[in-house]
Amino acid sequence: MNSFASSRCLLRLSLKYREVPGLCQKGISTHHENTDAKDMPDLTENPYKEPPVRCILCDAHVDYKNIQLLSQFVSPYSGCIYGRRITGLCEKKQREISKAIKKAQQLGFMPVTLKDPLFIKDPNICNIRHPE
Amino acid sequence: MPRYELALILKAMQRPETAAALKRTVEALLERGAIVRNLENLGERMLPYKISKHSIRHSRGGYFLFDFHASPAVITSMLDHLERDIDVVRPTILKHQPPTTEECPGMDQATLALNLKIK
Repeated sequence: MNSFASSRCLLRLSLKYREVPGLCQKGISTHHENTDAKDMPDLTENPYKEPPVRCILCDAHVDYKNIQLLSQFVSPYSGCIYGRRITGLCEKKQREISKAIKKAQQLGFMPVTLKDPLFIKDPNICNIRHPE
Repeated sequence: MPRYELALILKAMQRPETAAALKRTVEALLERGAIVRNLENLGERMLPYKISKHSIRHSRGGYFLFDFHASPAVITSMLDHLERDIDVVRPTILKHQPPTTEECPGMDQATLALNLKIK
């Protein structure tokens, strides 16, 4: 309530502010809130806060040499990298995986336009259903 | 001195020739004042795609990993040396990435809500 800067701001106020006791229409208000009262809420951490949801790769080290892990996030038909809505990873790990895949592809460790045939039979961890 | 990683792909050759090529590479590194920490053999496998280098189309290669400490000034000359070596298919020098000790914060409620919305 003590944050008004000029009288111009006050004139544009809605009706409810003009009716609050302790405030004058022109000039800065002299009404200061009593923050020492014992009925003020004490702002502590939310005790009902849920623990943060961890993705499957949280606390796992992502390496460009580990192409079996990287191939799990790649389409078996086109070799394109799945987005976060499909992989279900957190922002940090999705970026790490993408960067590692691009690095592995450039260095000659991982194929680009397809998924390595050795890893096609690997269990599907992404949220995508392939037609049989 | 910073730590580097040399991911080397050599031509598919017989054992004595591969040994000679690796020895040449290590000597070149030591000549430039590098300290070779470790040399790993990741095996000989099919290349993920055919690579044309030094007028040969390669489909198989030997993968090797060199862990070394060197001055940053040495890297360009090292890469130049490796590019000229006819037994080397693909040389790459990267900075060594240690496994991060930082804890992953996890997904917050806003991202989860967005994911549910997309589904």
